Amino acid sequence: MKTIPVEAYFAVSTALFVLGLLGMIVRRNLVTVLMSLELALNAVNVAFVGADYHMGLVEGQIFALFIIALAAAEAAVGLGIIIAIFRYRLVDSTDEITDMRG
Amino acid sequence: MVRLLIFTFFSLWAIVSAIGVITFTNPIYVILWLLSALIAIAGIFFTAGAELVGALQLLIYAVAIAVFYVFVLTAVPWEKAVKKSSHYRTEGVLSFPLILLLYLEIAVVFLLGVTASPEGQLRGLIEKFGNTEVVGSILFSKYFFAFEVVSLVLLIGMIGAVLIGRKENQTYEDDTR
Repeated sequence: MKTIPVEAYFAVSTALFVLGLLGMIVRRNLVTVLMSLELALNAVNVAFVGADYHMGLVEGQIFALFIIALAAAEAAVGLGIIIAIFRYRLVDSTDEITDMRG
Repeated sequence: MVRLLIFTFFSLWAIVSAIGVITFTNPIYVILWLLSALIAIAGIFFTAGAELVGALQLLIYAVAIAVFYVFVLTAVPWEKAVKKSSHYRTEGVLSFPLILLLYLEIAVVFLLGVTASPEGQLRGLIEKFGNTEVVGSILFSKYFFAFEVVSLVLLIGMIGAVLIGRKENQTYEDDTR
């Protein structure tokens, strides 16, 4: 039954997570930073489901569902904050928000 | 063997889409690449036998959240992001060795964990009842409190998003420059 090694799932998950992290660092636009964050969360989901498939459990899938729900909440709050920042400051780039710089 | 081929197809698709997400400048193209990556990750879930998570990935991520991002892009003028340089290039190049180090660390920890992990506790049950039934029965018995807490978090997130995103009469002056 098991034909896909669990290391393959972890390799894909690590690659996607690192790409998402790199996107969070190099992106300048706030909305695309959040999109890279979604990519990193999905990479964690891939690791959970792959480990489940290896061990024959379902706990990882349950936590993947929790991560999907929390990502929806995070997207709602984060995009609300981005809209508020744009409305009051008229900026949409991460290096223009300098109000708390010491 | 066919399963491995399908898995390889979806993984390559996901990684190519992820590279597209972090390299393209236009946010509309970035959203399309993200949508492609989410669909490919749903395919990866299906190859692992997680039908419920894959279906919810397609329903919640690829439909609801992607549409949400498109709505926000209509509210934020993203044309400025296309004109300016859209990436921190020097920071990206400088942080790349650190990211590579993190990658290697995660890989080592994963491989150590794989050799130590048990195998196949619920597999007979899953083959008997099917994936969705087993996930549902454990979700609503063992993790019921966590499920309720997640629903509370969603409610608080919704109220917070409405409160943050509403229009105020007063606008604040930017006095930093």
